Amino acid sequence: MSANINLLLHRDEELLKQKNRIKGFNLAAVLSLVGVGLISISIFLLTQSVAIEASSATKDQENILRKIFQFQNRQIKLFIVNNRVENIDKIMKTKKDLSKTTGSLLAKVPDGLSVNNFEITDKEVILTGKSESLAVIGELINNLTDMVRKNEIIKSLTLSSLALEQSSGVYTVSVKSEL
Amino acid sequence: MDEKINIDLKSLKLIFKENRPYIASVVLVLVSIILFVQFVIPQYQGLLTANKQVEEMSSRMVTLKANLDVLTNINDEVLNSQLKMLISALPLSKDFVAILSSVYSAAQKAGVSLGSFSIKLGDVSKSENGKGFSVVKLTVPINAGALGVNSFISIINKTFPLSDVTSVKIGEKSSEVDLSFQYAILSASNYSQNARISAISQKGLRIIAELSNYENTSLSESSGTTANSASPIPTPSVASFPTVTSVPIVTFAPVATPSSASFPATSAPVATAVPVASSAAQ
Repeated sequence: MSANINLLLHRDEELLKQKNRIKGFNLAAVLSLVGVGLISISIFLLTQSVAIEASSATKDQENILRKIFQFQNRQIKLFIVNNRVENIDKIMKTKKDLSKTTGSLLAKVPDGLSVNNFEITDKEVILTGKSESLAVIGELINNLTDMVRKNEIIKSLTLSSLALEQSSGVYTVSVKSEL
Repeated sequence: MDEKINIDLKSLKLIFKENRPYIASVVLVLVSIILFVQFVIPQYQGLLTANKQVEEMSSRMVTLKANLDVLTNINDEVLNSQLKMLISALPLSKDFVAILSSVYSAAQKAGVSLGSFSIKLGDVSKSENGKGFSVVKLTVPINAGALGVNSFISIINKTFPLSDVTSVKIGEKSSEVDLSFQYAILSASNYSQNARISAISQKGLRIIAELSNYENTSLSESSGTTANSASPIPTPSVASFPTVTSVPIVTFAPVATPSSASFPATSAPVATAVPVASSAAQ
């Protein structure tokens, strides 16, 4: 019996495997190069189409800017108008009409009391008056107290002074209120 | 047993000979990787940037088209008259002519006479801020009692330029009213040609309608010019502002006596006493 050890066959198998391996490597190398090339070309083509789109958008924009430039004066005037309106709105919101407040307060001064001094700011009001009758002064204080109670114009009332001039019999009263 | 590894030229040549078929493919793969990193990635980044620019341009186009629509549909005459009225209401700078006109006009309508008063002009480049706006403060003595003063302040509240009555002192025979006239310098930093333009809002139109009931005693109105006149309207690029940095105190006194109901013409005392204001009024 001869034990056939076919070394050549084993060697042929190895060679075949090696050849296949080499083919695989070569194919991978070529595919990678071709792949990179294809990706680069597609990106280039996309970039070109975006550039064309950008160029036409730039032209459109220039056209519109040219048209808007003809109305530049109007644009500036409108800007100023909107600016003034915005600022005037802020002013009107905080504007206080002291004439209404003054009128309402002076309307509460009873007959028989002469107002010597009336000072009003946006925070407080000081009223000084003279009368020969204490009842009139009392009426003034009652009227102002009512206003405080009803939360009408004034929110507090302070009797600053009440004096009697002995020689003339005239009472002088001074009241202060917070608005 | 230790393996000996020979790294001499012969063994290197042997290794090279054995692996020669693989070398070319490995080199090609390496070149592909290098090309990808050096060229393809920057190309892709360039594409993304270009796309972003096109998107920004498109959104700007939308804004510009909307702006063009707004500007095309505006009536020039109406805009001019609105602008003139609003600048009279809230001037762009200290307008002493308008201030004095409004004070004298209100006094005349209220039937009261004014005492002597002064305006401290000071440094025209600085402002005394009141409630976030620049103001010109003025104390006006009035030779009248409560009724006259009340009438004066209710009239001046509805007169241009807009003012605030900050305090009232009413005496038996004479009184004093503190006034603050507002003005607001236009900040051109908010102006941009590419910004969205909006037409006057409904709230703005309501304000304009309300202000149209106010009294406008500015010089251009009293000279009889209409809202459509060719008086120059300041623009951010061509607005002229006073260049004087300080002016001495000027005292104003009415020509008429306290008992007289007539008042000096608004142009006469003002024009001579306030030469600076004429440039500010333009």
